[in-house]
Amino acid sequence: MSGVALFRCRSCGHHWQFRRALCPACAEADPEPVEAEGHGTVWSVTVVHRAPTPELDVPSGYGIALVTLDEGARVMARAPTELATGMRVLVHARDGLLFASRA
Amino acid sequence: MAYLTGVGLTAFGKHPGKGPVDLMEEAALDALADSGLPRDAIDGLISGYAMTYPHLMMGAVMCERLGIRPHHAHQAQCGGATGAMAIVLARHLIAAGACRHVLVLGGENRLTGQSRDDSVKALATVGHPEHEVPLGASIPAYYALLAARYLHETGATEAELAELAVLMRRHAMDHPGAQLRKPLTVEDVMASKPVSTPLKFGDCCPISDGGAAVIVSVEPLSKAAIRLAGWGEAHTHQHVSEIPDDLGLGAKIAAAQAFDIAGRTPADMRLLGLYDSFTPTLAIFLEALGFAAPGGAGRAAREGLFAKDGPLPLNLHGGLLSYGHPGVAGFMAHVVEVVRQMRGEAGSRQVADAPLAYCHADGGVLSSHVGFVLERVA
Ligand SMILES: [Zn+2]
Repeated sequence: MSGVALFRCRSCGHHWQFRRALCPACAEADPEPVEAEGHGTVWSVTVVHRAPTPELDVPSGYGIALVTLDEGARVMARAPTELATGMRVLVHARDGLLFASRA
Repeated sequence: MAYLTGVGLTAFGKHPGKGPVDLMEEAALDALADSGLPRDAIDGLISGYAMTYPHLMMGAVMCERLGIRPHHAHQAQCGGATGAMAIVLARHLIAAGACRHVLVLGGENRLTGQSRDDSVKALATVGHPEHEVPLGASIPAYYALLAARYLHETGATEAELAELAVLMRRHAMDHPGAQLRKPLTVEDVMASKPVSTPLKFGDCCPISDGGAAVIVSVEPLSKAAIRLAGWGEAHTHQHVSEIPDDLGLGAKIAAAQAFDIAGRTPADMRLLGLYDSFTPTLAIFLEALGFAAPGGAGRAAREGLFAKDGPLPLNLHGGLLSYGHPGVAGFMAHVVEVVRQMRGEAGSRQVADAPLAYCHADGGVLSSHVGFVLERVA
């Protein structure tokens, strides 16, 4: 279980992450909450060296990735610093935050 | 018809002791003097917001400060595109017959009025409160994600992006009001400290204090008339997680409308004022708008395409990357420079001739786009 919460359109099957009343692809109402399998591909990734708050600062920086899940939704996740665009990853939720790791 | 009849600009950098209201007032008086309009001719006012002074009614604050009683006044808020959006909105107020002379204001003491940490933290909140901000993302991190994608898709290099920072610095060195005027090389940018890979310190605009003002009027005044010939907006998303696969999509939609209304094409443009919060922002715009080949913006800059004496001069005051970025006034400085260049009033920075210009800004993370074509008609 990945714990990655998505919404799925009951009409066209489109998947997305952010809460909204209508499907962004076809405008069908009443989307269904689903859990992602967790498999995905890195769309982009960065290593943050200057954190927005001091408590987040770590000497070697931390990774943040945008991952396109196999269901089609794109999600943002914390990532190891060695990830690169195009890599296959697994995304899982922990304490409400998403984390990506190499598949 | 709407014309840009007055422009005002402060130096950007440190203005200790001055708040947003002081900086906007200074720019407003500069623009009024430039237009030759009496203060009481201003019957519309749109002010920007200031993160150092989060007042609910900045428009009314500025009316009180300037001693004017316009038919319309409010505060606009659209991130980095606020000034551009307000100029387009002023045109709509004029077209509707609601106002004749609208004063657009931006100003903030973002550098001296808060700590750098507070500024970075406040700006980070533009991200999604549940799904992005808690990950430790920041504005540079969001743009870094787009920069990394841009480099991956186009095959451009970090050194090529750095060329854009170098170009902005070269232009800023010719403007006494620019915040950063020390010579800069590609090697300097490449050796600068990493902020969020692939962005280094040299790829990022500084935080500044400063103010800017533009007056939009129903008729041309005594100076060379600069007509707002076409305009366009696009609001494709807000959060970077939902950005379209085509990073330049919003810029393309807004520009297509602006060029269509103006009856012009990008090839007609002789001058550019493009938002450049980070080097990839500028590269993505130049390429989306057709001013450079995909992945080719940095190379085109190196080859002199966007230089003062090149065919398509860009951000001749130094842009956000070197003139500075105090929030709403940041992009308004581009507009001030474009107007002065089109009028032939730019002194040592003056380009040969620029009867047509395109200006474009984004707010958020390539989220909200506003572009317009300016045309000299006299
Ligand atoms: Zn649907």
